Amino acid sequence: MADHTHDPPPGGALLVPVGESVTLRQTVAYTMEIAAAEEISEVHFVSPVAWHDVGDVELAVRERTQSLLDRVSVWAEEDAPADAPTIHTAVIGAEEYLFSPDDYADILARYADERGIKRIIVDPEYSPGGNVPLLRPMEVALAVRGFDVIEAPASRPVRRSRLTRPGGIAQFGLLFGISFLFYQLLGGFVIVTGDSFDFFYELITGTITAGLVAGALYTVTLSNRIRLRTLGKQLLRLGLYVPYLVYEIIKSNILITTIILHPKLPIEPRMTRVRSAVWGGPALTTLGNSITLTPGTLTVRTEGQDLYVHSLFQSARDGVADGALERAVRFVFYGRRAAAIPTPRERGDYVELQGPNAESEPDAGAEADVESEPDAETEPVEEEPK
Amino acid sequence: MNEIRLGAIFVLLAGGVFFTFVSAVGVIRLPDVYTRAHTASQTDTLGAGLVVAAVVLAYGVETEVIKALLLLVFIFITNPTAAHAVGRAAYEEGIEPWTKGDERR
Repeated sequence: MADHTHDPPPGGALLVPVGESVTLRQTVAYTMEIAAAEEISEVHFVSPVAWHDVGDVELAVRERTQSLLDRVSVWAEEDAPADAPTIHTAVIGAEEYLFSPDDYADILARYADERGIKRIIVDPEYSPGGNVPLLRPMEVALAVRGFDVIEAPASRPVRRSRLTRPGGIAQFGLLFGISFLFYQLLGGFVIVTGDSFDFFYELITGTITAGLVAGALYTVTLSNRIRLRTLGKQLLRLGLYVPYLVYEIIKSNILITTIILHPKLPIEPRMTRVRSAVWGGPALTTLGNSITLTPGTLTVRTEGQDLYVHSLFQSARDGVADGALERAVRFVFYGRRAAAIPTPRERGDYVELQGPNAESEPDAGAEADVESEPDAETEPVEEEPK
Repeated sequence: MNEIRLGAIFVLLAGGVFFTFVSAVGVIRLPDVYTRAHTASQTDTLGAGLVVAAVVLAYGVETEVIKALLLLVFIFITNPTAAHAVGRAAYEEGIEPWTKGDERR
């Protein structure tokens, strides 16, 4: 895969992706056992990081990852045999958008290829990007890439089912609040406008209902850790986004109406693929749904960050390639600074899969005069393999 | 005042019916499943939106308005999801999107 493949180290090397997991300690111990038994000369502990947040959270993630790696190397040295293998630790993937287990597998594979490593030991409880059901887990993705993947045998607590995740008081509280508000909304806010009987009646029934809903579902509904301040900001920005979206919908609705009613039906449907610069469930869903909502474009499929968009005519396609919605969604989820990003066309993340320009890589020369804004978080993603 | 409101309601309703009608025409005229999925769900969004707007106007300032707006929110979330489901199912079945010059399907 990589051009500059080194020869494998003489005694062989092991790659161990690590991250927060309950069986991390056991995985390290198992790795060192293997290393001792087979006289492995190098062990690499690497921690892929995903910037699910940009800005102030980024530093915290970096520190947490570093301290995790420090801990791992201390453990590894504890377990190390007499003729200890060299232990390397690394943080990888800091400049990329990691979304699916496949993305993680990609950067791990790159790391391994550069160092000639063929064997990978995985921690059974560590599944980066694994929150998304329907995607194949990282182990499988790595095995597909031709690595010898071993799962560390770790006795572990009962495996959690995929649907539920540990939820805290914040999840419960938020869900309770939303349910309660919704209940009162449907009741027409009698709690405010009615007499005292109404007040108590609505209060009690509302509390019971919201309590039941939140109690039953708080581990299912809200999957990620909630930061109320971030959430509040995102909701505010969502409030700005909705009118913009409605405007876009109306504008393109009128366009599509003229096209449908046009006697010649001047359509040029085409499938395109956009690698979007948003990640994570809610943001990607918002982008995909927004693209679908604006007539003329339809999100057919998502694969990691790749959106397969079917478009009805050229101007709709240009809208996707120029990434106005993408920028707006980045604004909603990551803030104003993140919205300043080159368009998918400029990044080379936009490919037409049909029509005269089909499958050809975007022509860099044609776009060279377009100035792309420098932005640390938006390093161009590497070339698509053809 | 009341006449103006009545007129506005009428215009909104007419707009809603018009866009829904166009959506139906689109389903008949467009050539394949993907292009139909476009119009079946999307032009509908504006049609439904205008009708809801008419409902809101008809009720005036009342709590029913909140329900109507909630309805709109749900339409805006479920409509593209349904279109996506149709498109995705077609894509996974391996149906090639229609391009210019192909036969109608």
